[in-house]
Amino acid sequence: MAASPRQILQNGLWKENPIYRQVLGICSALAVTNLVANTLFMCFGVVFTVTLSNFTVSLLRNYIPIRVRMIVQVLIIASYVMMVDIIIKALAPDIHRFIGPYVGLIITNCIIMGRAEAFASQNKPLPSALDGLACGLGYSMVLLAIALVREPLGFGTLLGYPLPGRELWWHSWTIMVMPPGAFFMLGIATWIARAKVSKA
Amino acid sequence: MNKKSMGYVLGFTLLVCVFFGTAVATVHYSTLDMLRKNEALHRNRLICRAFLLDVEGESPEAYEEAIRRHIVISKVQDGAKQRTVYRRTDPGNEAVGFDFGGMGFWDRINGIVVLTPDLGQIVNIQFFDHKETPGLGARIEETWFTDQFKGLRIDWAKERDKRVIVGPSPDPNARNRVDAITGATQTSMALMAFLNAELDRIRQLEHE
Repeated sequence: MAASPRQILQNGLWKENPIYRQVLGICSALAVTNLVANTLFMCFGVVFTVTLSNFTVSLLRNYIPIRVRMIVQVLIIASYVMMVDIIIKALAPDIHRFIGPYVGLIITNCIIMGRAEAFASQNKPLPSALDGLACGLGYSMVLLAIALVREPLGFGTLLGYPLPGRELWWHSWTIMVMPPGAFFMLGIATWIARAKVSKA
Repeated sequence: MNKKSMGYVLGFTLLVCVFFGTAVATVHYSTLDMLRKNEALHRNRLICRAFLLDVEGESPEAYEEAIRRHIVISKVQDGAKQRTVYRRTDPGNEAVGFDFGGMGFWDRINGIVVLTPDLGQIVNIQFFDHKETPGLGARIEETWFTDQFKGLRIDWAKERDKRVIVGPSPDPNARNRVDAITGATQTSMALMAFLNAELDRIRQLEHE
């Protein structure tokens, strides 16, 4: 039986969350989460790509020749990623200079290919788009949670704005800016999510 | 139609390629003007930063105005190509800047190096574009790294590739040395190599 919209949303956001359940898309989760602004643009890129690629793959699912289906899926995903890349470059060039290489890597993000193959190629367009949206938002939710800890601890700022009186009471944790900080935070986020949230 | 036939597979793939290729091209061309403006702003901002100019505001016009008021831009023939030269003639703040670049670890690195008029010291250095590894070589554009070049002596008496040192040196307090980037040894070495080569060429151009 096909899943209801509510179930699809719940799966993407909680039960089958791409980061802490499926452990996919970890590269970008580690790379861009030291600044909230960078994380927001990365999340926009993934949500945009996974939603539209799921919709498109589903729309074409009855016409795509089985032998070249993965090539076609990658082509569709790559096209959307290139559009996102151009849009971020035009709207936020400074952020693009930092996250540009990772935006390109969305093409190989396992979440997107995984949803196209596992869900979109077997379901109708609207549920597929909803599945993509839910997975994108589930990914974004965890990344933002990590970024909201890393930026204040690492830089003493939030969205680039200094925390009030930070020079009086705070010494920045350099490790939070660096990759080990991302590993620690991702581990803690996964532990909390698996131990507490998923059981609820 | 038989979906397994060669004709169908080729026809379908071609159609998808044409459709999505057109879509990407449309998005690209519709943002071309914005991309050009962003690129000009980025370049002007770095030129102002390289010359340590005080800019009133953050708008593209503010940077353009600062450059127009303080810097004269010209081109000089450098072999087969032309090199951009920037001259600041404000009394007490005279400086001369050059576009410079060379091969980094992954791809070409381009930037601007500003020198005192006698070419004895580096005033500042900034990088326009590069494709070094994010978090490692890409840190060449960070302020802590570029600030090391402010006031750095160029030791013209030394051999060509040791006039400016990026990384370890027998004399850690040498006035022509800056720290390399931890974890980005190749980028640091590449920068040292092409910066020294470009400084040598710049001196020849200034003396011609």
